[in-house]
Amino acid sequence: MNPREEKVKIITEEFIENDEDADMGRQKRNSKVRRQPRKKQPPTALPKEMVSEESHLGNQPEPVQEEPKTHLLSMTVRRGPRSLPPIPSTSRTGFAEFSMRGRMREKLQAARSKAESALLQEIPTPRPRRLRSPSKKELETEFGTEPGKEVESTQQEIDSRSYSRVKFRDSARKIKPKPQVPPGFPSPEEAYNFFTFSFDPEPEESEEKPKARHRAGTNQEEEEGEEEEPPARGRGKEMDEEELLNGDDAEDFLLGLDHMADDFVAVRPADYESIHDRLQMETEMFFIPSRQTVPTYKKLPENVQPRFLEDEGLYTGVRPEVARTNQNIMENRLLMQDPERRWFGDDGRILALPNPIKPFPSRRPVLTQEQSIKAELETLYKKAVKYVHSSQHMIRSGDHPGNFQLDIDISGLIFTHHPCFSREHVLAAKLAQLYDQYLARHQRNKAKFLTDKLQALRNAVQTGVDPEKPHSSLDTIQKTINEYKSEIRQTRKFRDAEQEKDRTLLKTIIKVWKEMKSLREFQRFTNTPLKLVLRKEKVDQKADEEAYEAEIQAEISELLEEHTEEYAQKMEEYRTSLHQWKAWRKAQRAKKKKRKQAAEDHPDNEIEEPHPEEDLVKPTPPEPTDRAVIEHEVRERAAQSRRRPWEPTLVPELSLAGSVTPSDQCPRAEVSRREDVKKRSVYLKVLFNNKEVSRTVSRPLGADFRVHFGQIFNLQIVNWPESLTLQVYETIGHSSPTLLAEVFLPIPETTVVTGRAPIEEVEFSSNQHVTLDHEGVGSGVPFSFEADGSNQLILMTSGKVSHSVAWAVGENGIPLIPPLSQQNIGFRSALKRADAISSIGTSGLTDMKKLAKWAAESKLDPNDPNNAPLMQLISVATSGESYVPDFFRLEQLQQEFNFVSDQELNRSKRFRLLHLRSQEVPEFRNYKQVPVYDREIMEKVFQDYEKRLRDRSVIETKEHIDTHRAIVAKYLQQVRESVINRFLIAKQYFLLADMIVEEEVPNISILGLSLFKLAEQKRPLRPRRKGRKKVTAQNLSDGDIKLLVNIVRAYDIPVRKLAMSKFQQPSKSSRMFSEKRAASPSTHSPTHNADYPLGQVLVRPFVEVSFQRTVCHTTTAEGPNPSWNEELELPFKAPNGDYSTASLQSVKDIVFINIFDEVLHDVLEDDRERGSGIHTRIERHWLGCVKIPFSTIYFQARIDGTFKIDIPPVLLGYNKERNMILERGFDSVRSLSEGSYITLFITIEPQLVPGESIREKFESQEDEKLLQATEKFQAECALKFPNRQCLTTVIDISGKTVFITRYLKPLNPPQELLNVYPNNLQATAELVARYVSLIPFLPDTVSFGGICDLWSTSDQFLDLLAGDEEEHAVLLCNYFLSLGKKAWLLMGNAIPEGPTAYVLTWEQGHYLIWNPCSGHFYGQFDTFCPLKNVGCLIGPDNIWFNIQRYDSPLRINFDVTKPKLWKSFFSRSLPYPGLSSVQPEELIYQRSDKAAAAELQDRIEKILKEKIMDWRPRHLTRWNRYCTSTLRHFLPLLEKSQGEDVEDDHRAELLKQLGDYRFSGFPLHMPYSEVKPLIDAVYSTGVHNINVPNVEFALAVYIHPYPKNVLSVWIYVASLIRNR
Amino acid sequence: MATASPSVFLLMVNGQVESAQFPEYDDLYCKYCFVYGQDWAPTAGLEEGISQITSKSQDVRQALVWNFPIDVTFKSTNPYGWPQIVLSVYGPDVFGNDVVRGYGAVHVPFSPGRHKRTIPMFVPESTSKLQKFTSWFMGRRPEYTDPKVVAQGEGREDENTEAEIPRSTWVCLCPIPALMLSFCPQ
Repeated sequence: MNPREEKVKIITEEFIENDEDADMGRQKRNSKVRRQPRKKQPPTALPKEMVSEESHLGNQPEPVQEEPKTHLLSMTVRRGPRSLPPIPSTSRTGFAEFSMRGRMREKLQAARSKAESALLQEIPTPRPRRLRSPSKKELETEFGTEPGKEVESTQQEIDSRSYSRVKFRDSARKIKPKPQVPPGFPSPEEAYNFFTFSFDPEPEESEEKPKARHRAGTNQEEEEGEEEEPPARGRGKEMDEEELLNGDDAEDFLLGLDHMADDFVAVRPADYESIHDRLQMETEMFFIPSRQTVPTYKKLPENVQPRFLEDEGLYTGVRPEVARTNQNIMENRLLMQDPERRWFGDDGRILALPNPIKPFPSRRPVLTQEQSIKAELETLYKKAVKYVHSSQHMIRSGDHPGNFQLDIDISGLIFTHHPCFSREHVLAAKLAQLYDQYLARHQRNKAKFLTDKLQALRNAVQTGVDPEKPHSSLDTIQKTINEYKSEIRQTRKFRDAEQEKDRTLLKTIIKVWKEMKSLREFQRFTNTPLKLVLRKEKVDQKADEEAYEAEIQAEISELLEEHTEEYAQKMEEYRTSLHQWKAWRKAQRAKKKKRKQAAEDHPDNEIEEPHPEEDLVKPTPPEPTDRAVIEHEVRERAAQSRRRPWEPTLVPELSLAGSVTPSDQCPRAEVSRREDVKKRSVYLKVLFNNKEVSRTVSRPLGADFRVHFGQIFNLQIVNWPESLTLQVYETIGHSSPTLLAEVFLPIPETTVVTGRAPIEEVEFSSNQHVTLDHEGVGSGVPFSFEADGSNQLILMTSGKVSHSVAWAVGENGIPLIPPLSQQNIGFRSALKRADAISSIGTSGLTDMKKLAKWAAESKLDPNDPNNAPLMQLISVATSGESYVPDFFRLEQLQQEFNFVSDQELNRSKRFRLLHLRSQEVPEFRNYKQVPVYDREIMEKVFQDYEKRLRDRSVIETKEHIDTHRAIVAKYLQQVRESVINRFLIAKQYFLLADMIVEEEVPNISILGLSLFKLAEQKRPLRPRRKGRKKVTAQNLSDGDIKLLVNIVRAYDIPVRKLAMSKFQQPSKSSRMFSEKRAASPSTHSPTHNADYPLGQVLVRPFVEVSFQRTVCHTTTAEGPNPSWNEELELPFKAPNGDYSTASLQSVKDIVFINIFDEVLHDVLEDDRERGSGIHTRIERHWLGCVKIPFSTIYFQARIDGTFKIDIPPVLLGYNKERNMILERGFDSVRSLSEGSYITLFITIEPQLVPGESIREKFESQEDEKLLQATEKFQAECALKFPNRQCLTTVIDISGKTVFITRYLKPLNPPQELLNVYPNNLQATAELVARYVSLIPFLPDTVSFGGICDLWSTSDQFLDLLAGDEEEHAVLLCNYFLSLGKKAWLLMGNAIPEGPTAYVLTWEQGHYLIWNPCSGHFYGQFDTFCPLKNVGCLIGPDNIWFNIQRYDSPLRINFDVTKPKLWKSFFSRSLPYPGLSSVQPEELIYQRSDKAAAAELQDRIEKILKEKIMDWRPRHLTRWNRYCTSTLRHFLPLLEKSQGEDVEDDHRAELLKQLGDYRFSGFPLHMPYSEVKPLIDAVYSTGVHNINVPNVEFALAVYIHPYPKNVLSVWIYVASLIRNR
Repeated sequence: MATASPSVFLLMVNGQVESAQFPEYDDLYCKYCFVYGQDWAPTAGLEEGISQITSKSQDVRQALVWNFPIDVTFKSTNPYGWPQIVLSVYGPDVFGNDVVRGYGAVHVPFSPGRHKRTIPMFVPESTSKLQKFTSWFMGRRPEYTDPKVVAQGEGREDENTEAEIPRSTWVCLCPIPALMLSFCPQ
């Protein structure tokens, strides 16, 4: 140990003592007078103060108390140069000490006398001790216990904090009685004395053992040395300064010294941290990012200039608006947290997305379910609102309030048909139309374009074929050529079509013109000025011809090529098909042959012979194409569609140059037509948003059926237009105008402004029918050009309005367009599309693909929000239709906000823990305080869980010992898990009543009752139980639930045997008891008195209840029929603190109610003392127990009744002889009171609501009729007797509903059992019952969490070796049936099980009720029968429901043949259909495995012995081997006799062998399921509690194997005390 | 080392239930308790309290002033399950029975500093008019099995709609002089 280090530590202590100082100092410093000379101190104080000062300065903001270590360090550093002798540190200190010590001692001597008197009483006694005690190795415990121990110096390990506190208190106490000094500051002398005084108690020590003291002294002397040294050394500037300080502080300091001297406990003031300290501390602990703007260079990597993308011409988007300060804070934070600066962009700003909005909706459209449809169809009443205010049409007040203007220019109207059209007009209109078409086509000149294209393609093919071009592989060339060729074909086709169209159009025009001319000639006047001129254009015939020929040749060659290709392909096909055909042919022939043979053999069969395959047709080879044919074809087509080379090009020209015949030269009809036309006038109404805003002037219809308006309407609008309509009205003469047609004008795009808008024509048509009596053709009326009236056609009034609509331009050139935001939802999509395109300056584009291509080509900046709608449009258009996901995503932004990758997240232990907890994995369900850091989570937390996951399939034999049981346990676990998973949904479901306490709806009776109650006595003489409030297990915690066990009385407790008691009971105590005996409640018969002449107390029983290892017991009563009437309260703890219903249901704990006999032993050793004192030892002897599973209590809410005590068959020292004598009288009901009974009342406080089992329809393979009948039957029964159990169908282990009688069927019991008593049926029955009872009991509710009651068949039951009452009862009933008994399954209520199943048998003349789980049987009139009421009886072929008035077995008649008493399921109306059984034909039993049983026996014995030793940690546990072996021999006898009638022999034998031991013990018998119940049972007997020093134990285990691995376990535990 | 003293953070709640506005009732007292998640544990102070009975002030405000202090410290490892303070106010009805006048819950503020919270109070409503009458008559108003359920989500679906919030019934949970949130690194 480095002494220096120790020293240093001590200084720390000291320094801490001076902490008052230090605090002040700190405060001062904090108030920024740091460097100011602070205190004047006496020289002695200096160095220390300096040290502390230094340390303070060194770690200024550090709170001193918290971290002495840092100070230590700083001090050591400081000290080096200061104490400065040039010797190595260790020796130096030693040296210094010695000299110092000398001086010290002198001072001590001088001071002692003075100080002693003054300070002795002030010093608390422990203080001197303290001084010595603090040692390095031994800690606090030493303080008090070993005062004389050698002093050790360091106080290293001791918490400085506590020290300082104590110290401070002490000093305060000291200071009090000295009022003359300023409060809190003792005078220097006092302080000094105080300091020195503490050496007094052990001066001799220091002298005697200088070496030992060396260390001890170190600290003290060091301190003092320091105090003294400084003046001697006289160094340090600070010291000089401090000398100047005034005296107050010096005193202050001395106070500190004092404490240090008398007590090494570091004393500090109360932990007060000034606000400044706090703030300072916080500034250290918390990081508060500053709001200062961060200079750009910090945000960028070194030597990198910020780069501004905007300046480089790139579009960067508009950053979202963030307050400057927030941004600064964020930047500062990021700089601190993430030094890599990856959050900053090139321009030194935080990376930010311009637009966080996703382009696609992440919510799927509302599903149209039935419900929602209804909701959608629901009429909603909405209050009428003014139109203007209604919607988004309203311009918000914030917007530019200006009016917007829409200019509508209506230039004119042309009728393409009108009722007043003459025939000529019709033709003229047609001609005009055709001519327009022609012009349009001519302008486009598609044929020319296609021809050029064709030419280009051909050229390309030729160059491609050219083999000299080396620069691409043959393959690709071939490919491109092929592509070209197909394109050529395509183009040619198009071109031909176009050319043909051109030609036909031209032909039609000419034809119409010809018709018109003939019409004019026919009617001898002209109505229209139309004139068609055909201009011929001369062509160079030769060149033309050549071109024509070349074209044809090219085409021919191409076609030929095509054909040859095709031909080759066809040939190939032909070959393969021919091949196939040949093969088929062959096969056919072979078959035919065969068939022929077959036909010969069996001529009958021939007809039946089907034609397996349809005959293949012999393929025909394709014909090669002939060039001539192709040429012919091509030429023909060319002739048809193309201008022949010698023909001139015809160009039609339509002019209005013709003259119209004046009216006077026309026939009358024509004149009247013309007059009619003149009468007519037309005007237009302009409708904006379906409201007329203006109308044109009425203009007369011209002879050419054109109307010119030339009006411009300026519509001042406020809102975005919804619709713009023109209505064409026609007035005839002075009649009212008629509406001809409506024309819908498109609303112009925002780019269309006045001046730029083209005049457009919108067609309209009317469906009115007009017949005129003049030359006019009318409208909607058939007419014909032919004289004979054939070839009729019907024309409707139609026409075109030429107009232009545009947005007006304001004064300053801004178009007066309403903002886009106003656009109506109704046509948003349309507008958006329009707008998206118009935003880039074009309009009218509709081909999205092209647009996309264009966008890609023009390299549009996709990030520019100006382009955003366009880009979105393109992305939508190119990806097909608008992308609406068919899913609905809740966390659509998850991806963006994932701050770690999933793998990383999964690796996190904390996350995993939280995840598992929220999944309610059993291991973690109630895990509390999940640690903050991953590193704090131990791997082992998961170990159990992982192990369980791993072991799911692995069979672990360690816990179960027996492999078969291990398998079963695993299997059950798996079944349970799957069942639970199936029903998990309904797990957490609360009713209103669970949450809210509310009085029930009162009805008259309750009201009356409550009124009656008012008059009731407050304390009735015979109080009745009131129903308790039920509590749902929601807000419960540990300690809320208590188990109340009321032990009332017991009957027929075994009594001690005389012989035993003779030498066990000392005379004295017996006398004492005999006095009491008179008051004993037990009624004794005379025979009894004869047996116990001394009137000794027979037994002093008390009851001990243990539950979850909590033990309570009653007082001791006396006599075999004791009455306790005591209530015991046991706390209940749910597993894992989980009080949910599911968890409570699966509690497997058992309430053990043990009855003990309290035996007093006189241990007085000296008889002479008997008069003056009593020394007795209390021993308790276990008599028996009652076990009640918690689940039973939970489901029953309360258990009230008398239970048979499970008494071991052999109870040494006790007998029940008296009972036997009494009992023999009732042999007919031989079971009556054979055992001992105890009356109990058990309940849970507060009452818990048991989880309701889910009534669910399960699938079934039963007949539907039968199922209906069961429902009906059950409903009827429930109506009559709602409380009686009626069972018709049950659920089998696979979750299917099965009719209950299918479970009952005679099944063979194991042959072994039958062989035991071949002649005694009754004995065999008992043996069988015993066998059944040996199969472990496992309630379904435990295994299936209260979900449902599953019935397994008997073979499943025997395989599982676990089941509840039903399975036991079914098996027992089946055995009885096979034994030839009349047996029924009896469904009813019993205590403590509640609803349960028993077996009823008919013996000669009486009924017996068998408890299948215990193997006991009761007579019908046995009052102690646990069965309390009977619901129904089930036989193998029928069900009988109890419809008698009573349901107690005592009071009912079991004769099921009486229909008045028993309602049968199958009756005459519904006969028994003969249902097959679900049970197996026969049960197969394996022979019991003796060797395995023996092995298991040894292991259990070993385990139990170990356990008993564990339970006795403070005592030696000796095993008496001799006794053990005796017991081991005895146990098989017990098994053989089933625990009857062996007691006497056994005792005799034991007495013989263990004569000088006092022996108390008993055999326990139980079925074997696991080891734990065995251990619990042994523990509950309390054998291990005997603390007599020389006690010995004996433990023997015997396992008797029965067939099918059913094991009967016997455990004999005994304690032996040697008699002196 | 780690499991022995896992790092926790502390949440110190200081404050008082200041006053309430129950225009219809007088002579009320209140109870408070905390509901918190699995990772939370109280380390110091009182988790539950019941105040004195207070009468309405005589001025126009008619406030019921309790000024009932709350001082509790929690430690936790996980902000999940942040404590909520649950208040329930009781008072005598016409017949002198103590009936519940309001339930309310609010999360303990998340940031240090002074916070003033005003909690709307509500009581569950009887399921029928008849029951309303009888419960009034018998002095057994519907109440929660445990006031803590108001701070929990489970099983509230049924009763939600029937809760009644009397007009202008508020409890001020206010000036919480210091809410300290500190991390204790270890």
